[in-house]
Amino acid sequence: MHCKITALPALLAITAAPAFAQDKIAVIDTYADIAQAGYEDSFAKARSLKEAISALVAEPSADALAAAKAAWLEARVPYQQTEVYRFGNPIVDDWEGRVNAWPLDEGLIDYVDQSYGGPTDENLYAGLDVIANPTFTLSGAEIDATEITPALLENELHEADGVEANVATGYHAIEFLLWGQDLNGTDHGAGARPWTDYAEGDECTNGNCERRGNYLEAAVDLLVSDLEWMSGQWTDDGAARAALMEDPDAGIVAMLTGMGSLSYGEQAGERMKLGLMLNDPEEEHDCFSDNTHNSHFYDGLGVRNVYVGEYVRVDGSVVSGPSLSELVASADPQVDAALREDLNRTMIELGQLKTAAEAGFSYDMMLARGNEAGEALIMGAVDALVAQTRSIERAVTTLELDQIGFEGSDSLDDPDAVFQ
Amino acid sequence: MMIRHLALMFLLAGGPAFAGVEEAVEDHVLPRMANFAVQAGDLADAAADDCTADALRPPFQDLFDAWLGVSHLRFGPLEEGGRALSIGFWPDTRGMVGDTVARLIAEEDPVLEDPDAFAEVSIAGRGLFALERLLFEPELADYDDGDYECRLVQAIAEDLAMTSDALLSEWRTDQAPALLSAGDPGNTLYLSAREPAQVLYTALTTGLGFTAEQRLGRPLGTFERPRPERAEARRSGRPLRNVALSLEALRELARALADGPIPETEQAFAAALEQAATLDPVFAGVSDPSGRLKVEILQQRIERIQVAVTEEIGVPLGISQGFNAADGD
Repeated sequence: MHCKITALPALLAITAAPAFAQDKIAVIDTYADIAQAGYEDSFAKARSLKEAISALVAEPSADALAAAKAAWLEARVPYQQTEVYRFGNPIVDDWEGRVNAWPLDEGLIDYVDQSYGGPTDENLYAGLDVIANPTFTLSGAEIDATEITPALLENELHEADGVEANVATGYHAIEFLLWGQDLNGTDHGAGARPWTDYAEGDECTNGNCERRGNYLEAAVDLLVSDLEWMSGQWTDDGAARAALMEDPDAGIVAMLTGMGSLSYGEQAGERMKLGLMLNDPEEEHDCFSDNTHNSHFYDGLGVRNVYVGEYVRVDGSVVSGPSLSELVASADPQVDAALREDLNRTMIELGQLKTAAEAGFSYDMMLARGNEAGEALIMGAVDALVAQTRSIERAVTTLELDQIGFEGSDSLDDPDAVFQ
Repeated sequence: MMIRHLALMFLLAGGPAFAGVEEAVEDHVLPRMANFAVQAGDLADAAADDCTADALRPPFQDLFDAWLGVSHLRFGPLEEGGRALSIGFWPDTRGMVGDTVARLIAEEDPVLEDPDAFAEVSIAGRGLFALERLLFEPELADYDDGDYECRLVQAIAEDLAMTSDALLSEWRTDQAPALLSAGDPGNTLYLSAREPAQVLYTALTTGLGFTAEQRLGRPLGTFERPRPERAEARRSGRPLRNVALSLEALRELARALADGPIPETEQAFAAALEQAATLDPVFAGVSDPSGRLKVEILQQRIERIQVAVTEEIGVPLGISQGFNAADGD
């Protein structure tokens, strides 16, 4: 009050800034806590998946395969909610391709249907079939794959020949090995791999059952160790948390970048609209298991978690704290209310899509050419995601954070990062 | 920092602080959208008259030229209903255009008899890249009048004409008025004068990024594994032409959007276009070290444009790049 003659902007800069910085640190702390809990949950669920896969390989049966599939589906629930951490956190983005790369040319890994075709202009190794071939040549090098190990998958096969569709590791490689190809096109039905693909002796179908089991075990071992590593990056002294704390403004930008980039370019565009416009069920994110509706739903929920500062863990306990929503509301309650409303709208739209899929109108059916109900469900969610992106931009402007890029933020070293 | 903040506040408080928006809409977007619609109409007329590949290659090239004038405007009408993808589905990382066109022909899919039904066909079977296959792929392009391929070419051309008409009409009746009345009560699309400037600025910077990273980056591949076969529209001999035309369109947008002189931006565009003039038309050179270097230099010069644009347009206007459709991985 006694500073009346000081210019207003200077006053704000002097008196408000320190308190604001504290608020930002508390908000980033919540964000990192949610990441830590999400990756720990994903790690725990991956270990359950590993147990189920070990049981399947040790004593193959229809029940054991079903149990492994159920474990995979559960494992996806926490993981998809962490996808919002990818964009804006270089530590996550650099690592993510190991665990969730998609789409994949599955013929690299195992047998495929005749309709799959073989090598293409884009990918010479689309039909390599490592499980059936203990030795082969890859980009001019002789590869000895007589033993299928995590190192072989990670170092030789993953992104072989520099092609991203050569996905040898992660959730979707495991998904393919559990479900097999979905040959139903845009009709109802997921992949139908027989449990006997893992059977011993004469019962073995499609050959090389032991190598197939070895591949599956190697892939889940890698998944478990990768998720363990990522949980470690978010502990109190973890590198991902520390990177955000270095510069609170850049940390808040990273949060909003993740929300907006996942919402718009990645989920609404790449994953939903593109698949719909190609009428292509292989563009489904979880195409082998027909779990795409859940994949989209939990991606959307992850974005909301970050904004409202709340995550419900797989055991039902809640991680919450000072939120980005509160930070935005303190600057402009209207912008905050609009963004919260948009995020809720998206969850309703994604919820409708999930509901219809679970009632039997599966995601691949929605993609069929001329299927108006499916198109309306998918585009309803796409439009909601696009709308929330506009509100996220407004939140950035409200917090006066779009100037950050001009200052040259080192914590966003990705040249494609949104707020350059 | 403080000076910048003050400048920003004056802009926000001031009146028509974003004069460049009107210029960009009226002198850049609308004329180029109109030209795209005219060229698409011409191609559809030509196809109705004579559907053979020989006859349609020239109007196809004209339409593709016109597309480069608008393809960076990936917001509003061009995003609505996925129009951009239905016109130019590229990059096609899974080879779906070839597969889809082949399947339509093999099945002689009757879907092309109804334009509304054809508009529901996969984007890999419509638009400029499906048409390019039919007109330039040697095994496909020798079709005759009366063949299924002939009717497919006509259907694709007609679909493009319909899309370009809808695009132009939405720009004229909805999008341009909304951009120019930002902040008015009742304008639910653009809530402040700043938002249209940011949307156009995002189109500019994203367009530069797309040309550097995709149009040049995809054929470059890696040093060990160059990928000339991944160049955009290589079948019709357009990879370099697309790069040059996109830069020219983006320069026009930059000039319109800027509030003052932009000497560094001008210089950077000129340097990039000068470098482009030294390249071969289909980037075959990426396979040898010296040819590769030329393409990499062009890429760096486009990155210099991005820096200049940030400093001379983004900073003075107090805006930065927003989210865009290419944010995915």
